[in-house]
Amino acid sequence: MKSTLRASTFGRTLRLMGMYFRFNLSAGMSYRGAFLIQVLGMMLNNSAFIVFWLILFEKIGGNLKGYDFYDIMFLWSLAATGVGMAAVFMGNAHQISRIIYSGELDVYLLQPKPIALNLVSSRMMVAAWGDIIFGLLLFFFTQAIRLDSILLFLLFSILVALVFTAMRVLYHSLTFYLGNAETFAGFASEMLLSFSLYPGSIFKGPAVWILHSLVPAAFVAYLPVRLIKHFNFGLFAVLIAADLAFVAIGMLTFYRGLRVYESGNRIGTRI
Amino acid sequence: MKCPMKVRKYYQIFIYSARNQLMYLPAFLGRNMFFVLIMFIFSSLWRVIYSGKDVISGLTIAQVLWYFTLTEVIELSKTKISQEIQQEIKEGGVAYTLARPFSYIVYYFFRAMGENVVKMVPMMVEAFLLALIFAGPLPGYFVALPFGLLIIVFGLCLATLWQLIIGLLAFWFEEVSPFDWIVQKLVFILGGMFFPIDFFPEWLGRLSKASPFAFSAYWPAITFVNFSYSRFAICLLGQVVYGLALAGLAAGLFTVAIRKVHVQGG
Repeated sequence: MKSTLRASTFGRTLRLMGMYFRFNLSAGMSYRGAFLIQVLGMMLNNSAFIVFWLILFEKIGGNLKGYDFYDIMFLWSLAATGVGMAAVFMGNAHQISRIIYSGELDVYLLQPKPIALNLVSSRMMVAAWGDIIFGLLLFFFTQAIRLDSILLFLLFSILVALVFTAMRVLYHSLTFYLGNAETFAGFASEMLLSFSLYPGSIFKGPAVWILHSLVPAAFVAYLPVRLIKHFNFGLFAVLIAADLAFVAIGMLTFYRGLRVYESGNRIGTRI
Repeated sequence: MKCPMKVRKYYQIFIYSARNQLMYLPAFLGRNMFFVLIMFIFSSLWRVIYSGKDVISGLTIAQVLWYFTLTEVIELSKTKISQEIQQEIKEGGVAYTLARPFSYIVYYFFRAMGENVVKMVPMMVEAFLLALIFAGPLPGYFVALPFGLLIIVFGLCLATLWQLIIGLLAFWFEEVSPFDWIVQKLVFILGGMFFPIDFFPEWLGRLSKASPFAFSAYWPAITFVNFSYSRFAICLLGQVVYGLALAGLAAGLFTVAIRKVHVQGG
């Protein structure tokens, strides 16, 4: 009975995300020209960094503490696809602080849907389609194409999307306690993305601990690189467990924060 | 001797814009925490690249890191007036600005430069401190400083002229952001934003050094970190030549664009 209930809740949640997706996509596509420009612009933006790495590797040759050019391209394709997915399917996560301190959260609290999911998936960042397309193209042009590597890549991308969103939720949930953590949350999210785009082996000292905890780039980027090169069940299990833990911590912080949230009695509508 | 009226009004626009920007300075600096982050990542990266080597392409690791902070000063101090111009053209506010007793493009140029200079000064201090922490002192920094400041301001002038040209394209295109992205990426790559052009393959290096994009990133920064009077002269000359060319292009675009404007009374 309990498991049937859980399955139907999960199904309803997926349906809600699907509806938001269709609605946001059609809203974005109503300005088709602007949509295409944003997508192409994002792809162009990312491509500039590929040139950066091409020139750098041409100069230094070989590899960079265990990472060759193709490993870096894997980091980029994974981050672009995963973060792109997060912004397309859960593109409202970066606005949580503003929604909390402006009192707009009331609108979500009144709806009979899971609050966190309803909140994060109610907006789509259209330019992020450019990230997804770029990430997939980069993967197919720079990595060995085998069924197992494609499946792993897609799984890792979904995990990146989940962890990235969960960390954003966690950082922004500090607004419940601190008043306005928007700048901090933006910076911390930027840190997670930036560290995920560079070889993990170049960092040492306390940074390594931070990259395994507060800014979990190790679980978003560095472990997937190792796994795609040399798959290992033990390491794979560690990655899945860690990623799920980060998602759980993000959700827990948000729902704990809700307990101290005070409504501003703001009247609003979502159009 | 009194300043001619024409010059004085643009000077006043520059001053008002600078004063206005001073109000937002703390918020601007707060947003620039990203500079600290990227500096940490780049110093970690370059430390690995330089392990076992003192010099690559004629530059030490300290010079490369100081170089990077200086190109970032120009990039982060730049005011994005293209968006503002686009908005004004889209919404029709341009009709009011055109009626005012000043040149539209000179007005926007001085307004942006007023903001740029106010942002540049604290950015230079931040860059100095970050480079000192991550790379150690740069020999010859204080000798190069007065010349370096001049060419950084000129680099900002070039960046502002690009912004002006991109903004004016809104008379023809509904959305000018793609042009902004293209120019920005050209400055990133051909301009040597992330590392000196000296690291590029020879054919690309020659092309990049002669491009206008290099004069708002590579040339000011490399002149600063590897100072010589001849390099300073090349940088300044290139900036003046490209500055005049871009100003001419902006003026030409504006002359053509203004013919498309129809103002209806009401």
